[in-house]
Amino acid sequence: MDFSTLKDFFKRYDFSFFLLCTVIFFFGVINLYSATHSSLSTQHASLYKVQIVKYVFSIALGFGLSFIQPKTYFRFAWLIYGFNVFLLILVLFVGDKGMGARRWLLIGPVRIQPSELMKLSIIFVLARYYKKYNSDGDTGIRQMIFPAFLAFIPALLTIVEPDLGTGVLILLIFFTIAFYRKLRWKTLGVLAVVGLLSGAVMYEFGLKDYQKRRIKTFLNPSADARGSGYNAIQSKIAIGSGKFWGKGFKNSSQASLNYLPENHTDFVFSIFNEEHGFFGAILTIGLYLFLFFRFIRLATSVSRIFDSIVVIGIMSIFFWHTFINMSMVMGLMPVVGLPLPLMSYGGSSLLTFGICIGVTTSISNARNMF
Amino acid sequence: MFSEEEVVRSHKDRADIIITLVTLCFGIVLIRLCYLQIYQGDMLYEYSVKNRLRKEVISASRGMIFSRNNQLLVHNVPRFDAIIIPQYLSNKKQTLTKLSEILDISVKDIKKILKKYRAQARYRPVLIKKNISKKEVAIIETENEKMPGVSVQTFISREYKDKEVGSHLLGYISEISRDQLPRYRKRDNYNYKLGDFIGQSGIEEEFDFFLRGEDGYQFMEVDARGRMKRVISSNNLFAGIENKASIPGKNIRLTIDRDLQNVAYKALEEKVGSVVALKVDTGEVLSMVSRPSFDPTQFSRGLTAEYWNSLTSNENNPLRDRAIQEHYAPGSTYKTFTAIAALEEGVVKPNEIIKCGPTFRLGRRVFNDWKRSGHGDTDVYKSLRRSVDVYYYKVSKMMHINDMSKYARMFGLGSKTEIDLPREIPGLIPTAEWKKKRFGKEWQLGENLVCAIGQGYVLTTPLQLAISYAAIANGGRVFRPQIIKEIFTNSGEVLKTFTPEEVSKANVSEKTLEHVKKGLYQVVNARKGTAWWYRGRGIRMAGKTGTAQVRSMTQTELFSKCKDMPYKSRHHGLFVGFAPFDDPKIAVAAVVEHGCSGSSAAAPIVRDVITKYMKKYHPELHKKYAEEDRIAYLQLIKKERAKKEALEKKKKAEQEANAETEDSDGL
Repeated sequence: MDFSTLKDFFKRYDFSFFLLCTVIFFFGVINLYSATHSSLSTQHASLYKVQIVKYVFSIALGFGLSFIQPKTYFRFAWLIYGFNVFLLILVLFVGDKGMGARRWLLIGPVRIQPSELMKLSIIFVLARYYKKYNSDGDTGIRQMIFPAFLAFIPALLTIVEPDLGTGVLILLIFFTIAFYRKLRWKTLGVLAVVGLLSGAVMYEFGLKDYQKRRIKTFLNPSADARGSGYNAIQSKIAIGSGKFWGKGFKNSSQASLNYLPENHTDFVFSIFNEEHGFFGAILTIGLYLFLFFRFIRLATSVSRIFDSIVVIGIMSIFFWHTFINMSMVMGLMPVVGLPLPLMSYGGSSLLTFGICIGVTTSISNARNMF
Repeated sequence: MFSEEEVVRSHKDRADIIITLVTLCFGIVLIRLCYLQIYQGDMLYEYSVKNRLRKEVISASRGMIFSRNNQLLVHNVPRFDAIIIPQYLSNKKQTLTKLSEILDISVKDIKKILKKYRAQARYRPVLIKKNISKKEVAIIETENEKMPGVSVQTFISREYKDKEVGSHLLGYISEISRDQLPRYRKRDNYNYKLGDFIGQSGIEEEFDFFLRGEDGYQFMEVDARGRMKRVISSNNLFAGIENKASIPGKNIRLTIDRDLQNVAYKALEEKVGSVVALKVDTGEVLSMVSRPSFDPTQFSRGLTAEYWNSLTSNENNPLRDRAIQEHYAPGSTYKTFTAIAALEEGVVKPNEIIKCGPTFRLGRRVFNDWKRSGHGDTDVYKSLRRSVDVYYYKVSKMMHINDMSKYARMFGLGSKTEIDLPREIPGLIPTAEWKKKRFGKEWQLGENLVCAIGQGYVLTTPLQLAISYAAIANGGRVFRPQIIKEIFTNSGEVLKTFTPEEVSKANVSEKTLEHVKKGLYQVVNARKGTAWWYRGRGIRMAGKTGTAQVRSMTQTELFSKCKDMPYKSRHHGLFVGFAPFDDPKIAVAAVVEHGCSGSSAAAPIVRDVITKYMKKYHPELHKKYAEEDRIAYLQLIKKERAKKEALEKKKKAEQEANAETEDSDGL
């Protein structure tokens, strides 16, 4: 490869997703530093460094993946999906236990969470299905049955781990894709009714006590038995106390937030709002919205339906995480424990988002490179 | 057909809808943010700066434990700890100096404690001194203003009224340990956290579920110094958040009698061993003590290092409940069951005389009797009365070990009694199959003889012995020992009542039991019975002494004086009995480790306990018996004196006669 082609390559390479994500991550890591810097435990106080390392690793992985052509994902969609379902079943039997759930597989020193990867696998397999069998025309009930089957298997496997948040997320991804694939409005109505009914049944029989409690707490805080409503209130106080301009960097005086065990993971946005106020929130939300718009624009400008659906799917991963997380910290939704993309502390979610960005970039590059 | 690119373009409508929906969603988020940050902003800001919301746990009071007569045995007493909440600690130097003066701890030590807890969240209290006095509490409370961050924490301490008495039975509570945490969460399906107190032994452990109650919580606003401002009831922010009252634990009424417990404990003074007393006709445990013991109150207060060391360095292990967690060879107390086996199997008849010399030879091995000169002609009564070893060697040689064991098992030996207490051990009554399985060797006839006198493989717990003798006394009914009468709430509502539980009935003829009981009666009440000197008065006791060898001994050692041997080689002394003989009401077993002999070490303990019982529950009967005993004793003395006089007269007469003959010789 001579110099001119390399230059040419970088000219054509779409860096916009990596850039946008890095900006958001930058916001996140500053916030993380602020949330944890005063912590007495040194391990806790240096979490932001760990986060940076993890991010660099995830982005590097994403960058590497961006050189794999989208048709490779198309070709191996079934294999990826099948293997991932296998891992999900495996984790139920030999998974590492943490906090009452079996979510992780230990492979030597590496801990992987099959349900995280499933978010992407389900997108590939659905995109391939729609490309192959129903690339044209509307989606009615009949066209929904098989994809629904594909989505419900991993969703249920994830819910019994138990990881309700991720399970529901897989279903939401599925519905977003189906909607994009011209799901008929009538069908959507029918599905909504069925969904509500089956949701009620599942709540009654399928949920663990602590999951029920979270939902109950949301619907009626007085039913709270273990104080999860208390976390929500502390979070609300933190957000509200930021007012318009915020209290400023490192000034999260809402000491009571120390009560939140997850103030560097699920509740980062409360701290961010406390310190940077409404103004900071508008800025962040603006960034996220910009990212989503770019995804959607890319989806309609690619030349292959598979790519288009994959991009929409990836957008939905980002969107649902962001929306659900923000809603839950400000008391609009029950606390389900989904991280805020790129801002929450946590290696496995960073990795997922890194991979997503890599795949997206590869799709974007495919438009004008190959 | 369209080209694929056109297909993609045809999705533009849906893409637009998605864009709209996404924007709408974040519109909602922004509206919510507006509401919180602009509309409620000032109020919430106030909250975050001036007020702090705290969730306080209201610990449930643990249930109380009562004796069978409703005397309080275990209850809760408040105790006070001085704590510091680092978050509110300002003006550190001055505050710590002041505190060190009040509590009499050096500033350096306080700093050391604070440093130790540096890693935990700053709002969490750090314990500076436990159990501070009322006076110290008062000073801290009044000087509170000058010592921000320092406060007094009330804590409910568990108090055991009789301290060391019966502490094995009652158990103790202490903080749940890190390894126990997951296990207990799973067991009780209850979200224990570090710092929770749980029952760690005895009743406290076994009935922890009932005694524990359920913690509640309340939300409080605290000011910048961590002092409570008010309890949140309701205002617009906290609407819907509710406090939860704690549910107190349930109370327990035991079958234990406090007085008997004290008597038994006192009788064991300076000794190592245990006493178990049961009601013969129900299996209710009246008393169960073990010595050396410990003071469970110390555990709930937080053990001091010295106290813990004194417990662990004691080689007699005061934490072990000797009544159910220690195996003893029953020694001669087991002969009763050998006798029952021999009579039932028809090996001997009750009045059949067997000649019993000082030793018994089986093959090349010589088995000694405890009495060097032997006992001579012996029937079954005498064999019990005088505890004739050779008699039992001879009868056991004629039986199969499994037949002997069968009868012992019928009376509840060799398996757990299933008393409601943790960590009971089962004891052991050997069979030929057991030995084969355990050692891979055939049963030897010689082992019959050893087992017949309660040595060798035979192992029992004091509780089992008491249960088995109660069964002998009540016609063969074996009870599961009952320790709890009922569980009831503070308002007096009875939640659960426990009733006697007859586990099995020994398949032994009435006659056999009569013969054996007669023998046991003679042990205590016949002139030459082994426990004659400890018969007491007014209790009509029947029983059996036992002296269990701790290790095998040479012949010279065997007959050397027990008190001269090193402590660890001395025999264990046992006595098991019941009373009154005509209508048995109570059965008592006592074991004194290295007490040398069953009669001198253990029998007086049983006598004391039974005397107390008779005096307390059957005073009329006791009086009547005492009077009869007195008269009988006087008659006995008279008779003996007359006999003696007659003997002396005879001697004198003989002497005189001799003298006369001598005189005549001299002539």
